[in-house]
Amino acid sequence: MTTSNSDRVRQLSDWLRDTDIARLELRGPGESICLQREGGRIVVAPDEPAPEMDATSVAATAASVGVFLHRHPLRDSAIAETGTTVRSGQVVGLLQIGALLLPVTSPCDGVVAAMLLEHGATAGYGTRLVELHPSSTTS
Amino acid sequence: MIEILSASALATVQDLGRVGALRWGVGTSGAMDPLALAAGNILLGNDEGAAAVEVPVFPFRVRFAQDCAFAVTGADVAAKLDEPVLPWWSTQARAGQVLNLGLPQGGAWRGSRAYLCLAGGVEVQAVLGSRSTQLRGAFGGHEGRALRQGDTLRFGVSDGEQRSTDFGLVPPALALPLQVDGLPAMRVLPAAEYTLYSEASRAAFWSEPWKITAQSDRYGYRLVGTPLEAVSALEMRSHGIVPGVIQVPPGGQPIVQMRDAQPSGGYPKLGTVIEADLWRLGQAPIGSRVRFIETNWDEAVAALAQTRRWLDEVRRLVELQRGYRSGR
Repeated sequence: MTTSNSDRVRQLSDWLRDTDIARLELRGPGESICLQREGGRIVVAPDEPAPEMDATSVAATAASVGVFLHRHPLRDSAIAETGTTVRSGQVVGLLQIGALLLPVTSPCDGVVAAMLLEHGATAGYGTRLVELHPSSTTS
Repeated sequence: MIEILSASALATVQDLGRVGALRWGVGTSGAMDPLALAAGNILLGNDEGAAAVEVPVFPFRVRFAQDCAFAVTGADVAAKLDEPVLPWWSTQARAGQVLNLGLPQGGAWRGSRAYLCLAGGVEVQAVLGSRSTQLRGAFGGHEGRALRQGDTLRFGVSDGEQRSTDFGLVPPALALPLQVDGLPAMRVLPAAEYTLYSEASRAAFWSEPWKITAQSDRYGYRLVGTPLEAVSALEMRSHGIVPGVIQVPPGGQPIVQMRDAQPSGGYPKLGTVIEADLWRLGQAPIGSRVRFIETNWDEAVAALAQTRRWLDEVRRLVELQRGYRSGR
């Protein structure tokens, strides 16, 4: 964390102190902040390491907070079953925010390797949702 | 511009209807599922009441003559634009691409009509304040008739104007569900002649399923079930009726007036499907069964307000998403 952020951390800590929120994680490109409650104090928590993933894998991530759906609410089958070949930008799941459905898209050409979150589970911003094997490394 | 490739008839241009023209003897017309039409328009950033193509017979195919953002709502018809398109979803088509709407799918809800909404809305002349096709009067919509193979429709967005696409909605059939014993249900207000039917008939009307016969269309849905018996023979003069009115002809099998209903009729009226639930009946497939729920004026008004709240929430979320994307 850079010192230019320390004012913001102090401000966030002040706000958090008056809530019943136990833990706050903020993630952005290249940096993340995690604040948590310890008794009456708000402290900066150490970053949790990203989940271990195969070096040949990439993940489709949540572009927003929402409920992760493997299948469209009208459908019985998954949008992209494990083993499906997909192109970069193809929809592999959905994020539901109230009535709104946002696409979860594949970041690469490849094969769907695993769903990393249950159907209907809540995802935070940046949560890894779908593991993919890029076609350049699997072929 | 889009070009109709299908020979199958009965697809029509519809908006939310020619409201306020009954006084001139002109029926309402408009989408059989106004909620699907309004939501599809909201997805595209259109006015809720922009005209769209209502498709009741499948498969149905159109070719885009220019780039165009579109949304398919209503029944899940396994839409394909080269690749599969999700239901209740906005998509960008490129010039030359063909959109194919297939047979309505089962899944969590089976509808019977799909709406093809286009960015800017279908551009046809408004007649008496509406772009809906008035089939009986042969005016409005596209040349006052159902669409034919080779017809072309313009829409109100110039080539190259970008609309944010690639997001969708949870359909109201799931967000605002209404079922009795697993069957789609509609709330009904008892009408003027309700009390002239036998107690057994009235009870059966609420407690038994009603099957939608093949003689059902945009004019009216003919239902079949235990015949409804009047206490005495009823003779009436013709009087004004509106979509939703449930008439009972002498055979005792009810007819629900739908969007293309004529503005007057002479059969006794048992009840009226409330405005807020008419889309549920409009989407019920021929051969399927439905149930009726007795309601009252206050509940009918509250149901309409609930529908309005759903549309307002949809618009709020879509506009947030649109703003978020354009701000990136």
